[in-house]
Amino acid sequence: MEKQNIKTDVLIIGGGIAGLQAALDLGDQGFSVLIVEKEASIGGRMINLSKVFPTLDCSSCICTPKMAAAAHHDKISIMTLAQPTNVEHQGAGFAVTVREQPRYLNAEDCTGCRLCEYACPVDLVHEVEGNLGARKAIYVPFNNAIPQVALLDMDNCIMCGACEKACPTHCIDYLQEPREHTIEAGAIIVATGLDLAPMDVKAEYGGGKLVNVLHGLQVERLLAPHGPYGRVLRPSDGKVPDTVAYIQCAGSRDHSIGIPYCSRVCCMYAIKQAMLLSGALPLVEVFIYYMDIRAFGKGFEEFYQNAKAMGIEFIKAKVAQITEDEHRNPVLRYEDQVTGRVEERAHDLVVLSQGVVPAWDPRAVLPVEVGGDGFIAAANENVAPCRTSITGVFAAGVATGPKDIPDSIVQAGAAAAEAAAYLRGNDKVESITTADRPAQRPVEVG
Amino acid sequence: MTAGNSGRKPMILILATEACAYPGADNTGQIHAEYSTNAYVVRVPAPVQFNEEFYLRCFDKGIDGILVMTCGHECPYAGAYDRTAQRIGRVHELMKERGLDTRRLRICAICTVCSKAYLKEVKAMVELVSQEQAAAVGGS
Amino acid sequence: MTEDKSQHNGEGADAENIRVGVYICHCGGNISDTVEIERVVEAAAKMPSVVVARRNMFMCSDPGQSMIEEDIRTERLNRVVVGACSPSLHELTFRGVLTRAGINPYLFENANLREQVSWVSKGDPTGATDKAIRLVGAAVAKARLLRPLEPIRLEATPRVVVIGGGLTGLRCALDLARLDLDVTLLEEQPFLGGHLAELGQVYPSDKPAREILGELIREVSAHPRICILTSAEVIEASGCVGTFLLKVRAAGEMETQCFSAERIAADLASRAHGPNGDHHNDGAGTTELEIQAGMAVLATGFDHYTPSQGEYGYEEHPGIITLPALIRELESGGLGSGPPALNGRPINSIGFIHCVGSRELDGVHDQNGKTELNHYCSRVCCTSALWAAKQLQARYPDLQIYDFHKDIRTYGHGHEDIYEDTAKSGVIFCRFADTAPPKVTVTESDPPLMISLKDELTFNEEIDVPVDLVVLVTGMVPHAIDNLVDMLKLPRSADRFLQEVHPKLRPVEMAVNGVLIAGCCQAPLDSVESAAAASAAAAKAAALLGKGYIEREPFVARVDQALCNGTSACVEECKYNQAVSLVETAGGARKAQVNAAICCGCGMCAAVCPTGAIQVDGWRLDQFDAMIDALLVNY
Repeated sequence: MEKQNIKTDVLIIGGGIAGLQAALDLGDQGFSVLIVEKEASIGGRMINLSKVFPTLDCSSCICTPKMAAAAHHDKISIMTLAQPTNVEHQGAGFAVTVREQPRYLNAEDCTGCRLCEYACPVDLVHEVEGNLGARKAIYVPFNNAIPQVALLDMDNCIMCGACEKACPTHCIDYLQEPREHTIEAGAIIVATGLDLAPMDVKAEYGGGKLVNVLHGLQVERLLAPHGPYGRVLRPSDGKVPDTVAYIQCAGSRDHSIGIPYCSRVCCMYAIKQAMLLSGALPLVEVFIYYMDIRAFGKGFEEFYQNAKAMGIEFIKAKVAQITEDEHRNPVLRYEDQVTGRVEERAHDLVVLSQGVVPAWDPRAVLPVEVGGDGFIAAANENVAPCRTSITGVFAAGVATGPKDIPDSIVQAGAAAAEAAAYLRGNDKVESITTADRPAQRPVEVG
Repeated sequence: MTAGNSGRKPMILILATEACAYPGADNTGQIHAEYSTNAYVVRVPAPVQFNEEFYLRCFDKGIDGILVMTCGHECPYAGAYDRTAQRIGRVHELMKERGLDTRRLRICAICTVCSKAYLKEVKAMVELVSQEQAAAVGGS
Repeated sequence: MTEDKSQHNGEGADAENIRVGVYICHCGGNISDTVEIERVVEAAAKMPSVVVARRNMFMCSDPGQSMIEEDIRTERLNRVVVGACSPSLHELTFRGVLTRAGINPYLFENANLREQVSWVSKGDPTGATDKAIRLVGAAVAKARLLRPLEPIRLEATPRVVVIGGGLTGLRCALDLARLDLDVTLLEEQPFLGGHLAELGQVYPSDKPAREILGELIREVSAHPRICILTSAEVIEASGCVGTFLLKVRAAGEMETQCFSAERIAADLASRAHGPNGDHHNDGAGTTELEIQAGMAVLATGFDHYTPSQGEYGYEEHPGIITLPALIRELESGGLGSGPPALNGRPINSIGFIHCVGSRELDGVHDQNGKTELNHYCSRVCCTSALWAAKQLQARYPDLQIYDFHKDIRTYGHGHEDIYEDTAKSGVIFCRFADTAPPKVTVTESDPPLMISLKDELTFNEEIDVPVDLVVLVTGMVPHAIDNLVDMLKLPRSADRFLQEVHPKLRPVEMAVNGVLIAGCCQAPLDSVESAAAASAAAAKAAALLGKGYIEREPFVARVDQALCNGTSACVEECKYNQAVSLVETAGGARKAQVNAAICCGCGMCAAVCPTGAIQVDGWRLDQFDAMIDALLVNY
């Protein structure tokens, strides 16, 4: 295996919006940063969302500038398809082993032209499109991916050689091996983000097997202007849905699936999607079955009230069960808390507002303290929410707990401040006492 | 080499904002969607910098249609979008005075992934100016 | 501040010997499969000022870049045009080539022949080639008028003024100092700590607020880079990013001593008695001083919402109090150590009413002459109320607690546990509709207070709940800072909190360059979130001031003083305060002058200038006109 040593001031694990913001805030302060991202593109979850609450601006329009700024920043390097496998203390910093998966092509030579993609005969389900769209075995991850470089899915490649013939730069290399890097970093920021709570843990809701029951991220793709169908259709028969139901707290606030906490974003994303659906399909009726609507951030409550005024129906009910009728319409069984009646109702499309779980359990690689909920625990949460149990290791974004985009971005800035102070050797001022205190400098003028 | 616009396809100028519409036009390319080759994108920070005369001058020079593709309310500059929209309104007045079809100048908002909207706008303008050219040729 | 030194007048193309090199990229076959590259190169060679036109399989490759670099040297090129992929991919790459070859990087222009020609014109190769030629022609036309530009460098004082000495201001001041910036921390009260000092144990850490704050104040007051001014008020503000000048009036001397443990404890105890605690300043040594700072951080925080008289019976019975008042009673032992009592009156039951002064609706809460509604959610009050309920349950197990809410918003880390704990230990929850808030009446019976509502948790049953104490769970309103808002021209959002530039792109920055915000002056936040915002603001300030100067891209407005008539049309049009102003020149004429520290380069001014004297560098109107002319040329 090829080995490389890389020195950097800060290693950031995760190239989503939190990792990118932390990188930019550190790079702008003059620190060198290396982002390691496990996927083939930076941008994390945010780059594949449609529009974002509460401003309803296009997610890509906000995320792409930060991706591009990081990619072009002279202090920031990016390594994709890479994950840390071991972390050791080295002086005041760390030696981190990072394993980089092969793309099976020479990334420096790839121009992202997609001629390989057009030549490839293998059609596969596209994970980035929430499994609703298709991709080839060799493909550029998505439209606005950074880097705009293809990767070959070797597990599904039939070795026909079509891509190699099509490639104008002859960059395809079927024999590429994983590479191992040793990163010497002064500090580490963990910004590994979220996964959705799995769809199959709740048998009452169909266990992920009902075709017209989707999760929130799939609907993000349906609503995106560059989504898999280019419009909102339901998967079973391509019908434009007339009624859509959202089930809140589908993967949160639920001890039975081991996720007792509130996931913090599901109320708002459901309301936002309901509004976007109403905009895209003027005749659609949208129902939101909820326990509490948690519209707590700046402008959120006003957004919620707008949704109500638009005619989105909010039904205070805990849905007990989802089944399917002969037309593959999902059928909800629920107790309406306002009327007290147990009701059954079929919808064309049901969206589970799945909660979020941490995307990475660091403990096998980096033994930071993790809370009972699986998220990284802050050592002194009220005052320093980004510090972990290991000095020199900081965390930001959903890695420390569910968070919306603004909160993640702000916390990323905080992690950057913490890491920068640590690198400057100013992590603690405990040694300073009154006696040590130098005279105030004469900086006040006038 | 010759100047002017005689005997060739009508020409459409797209003033596209750096932050939103220009990446939107790029995105349309990334998905390899086709549109007419007579639409020319010019990158601008904010079209608010163009005065009324600029647009009229473009028509005088031989540009047949202008699409001002902005960031809409996602505009990064304070007040620039509203100002541009107001100015386009005034240019429409001046166009009327000169007997120009006001549909030949249009302002719209295009985001970084709005390929569909981008194509729709371009297509509509291509159709409009082609019809107008055909009518002008037929009438002369 | 930059001003026009070179007196450009748009005639640069003819004045100097312009030598343009044009380079067309095949991009493998991505461009050349559709566009006839040979024809584009031939046409380019005929364009004005073009001295060399070449093509390459990949212009961005090392051989491609070397080709340009060499031509710049041997052909004495002073403008470069590359027809290739979108500028978003390689504009910076090619600017780098120009720099390496020893010419100004801004003398580069791109023609987008891939994303905007070949990839969208597969079915029309002839049209695509024609389009490519015209776009290259336009790029050459612009390149001929390009001028060398230099990044703008502004003087920057490595000092930040932090306004507000609560948790956010303290945290921010400490982080700024840890990032090696000097800090002046201003607090209008005589003591530090803000509203957090009013609390006892805080969630989610379960630590006493005074311990958290005490530690922080000790660190802040001990830090050699931080000056603390208490009882301080900003009375004048001028300047701009890099060199703000604030005139501050402070009662008492500037704090230059590390606070003793005793002093911190005494101060925090005073603060705990409310916003107007018992710590008085005699105003004796009032000082005025001017502070020069590169940036300012507003951490001015919030005030508790005060219900109007009669709102849920407020001030109509001593048993109707706000949540902050209850917390003060709890902290000062006011409910007693035996069975709970308030002012001698036994308390056996308490009803919490949520959303008092928050989530208000037009047509529902604007009765009784109330005009300014708070439509927003105050974010922290649900958890705060339940946290208080939990402490009450722990101290007084026999106390019956009712909770009347619209939604329970225990969203944060550990909050849901607090909700579940209180529910398990017997708090009775009732829910009212948005449009039907509960009514509080004072009765003659015992207990003396009655809360009436339709309970959505018992199928809209109308219920009357008698209680001894009604706790109004009041939210936050922004702390009154009208003076600062006026002086610094700060934007506020409809909810009257300060408005950031963009909640995701620039969440801790204000539209006024160099002014940052953190904490509850922006929106209701809890301590965890406020601390994060404070640190994020510190990171931003360090990024901008850390180098000792501020560097910006040169794309800002520039005035050609020879053309300027001093009409002030640009000044009136500009949306950025002081970005352009009229100044008296040596000859006594008044001319426009751009402040490059503030100008955002939008060009709004350029459109209204009667003589075209003000233009945005890199995007000048003559350049656009030349591009349009070139698009119309047939090669």
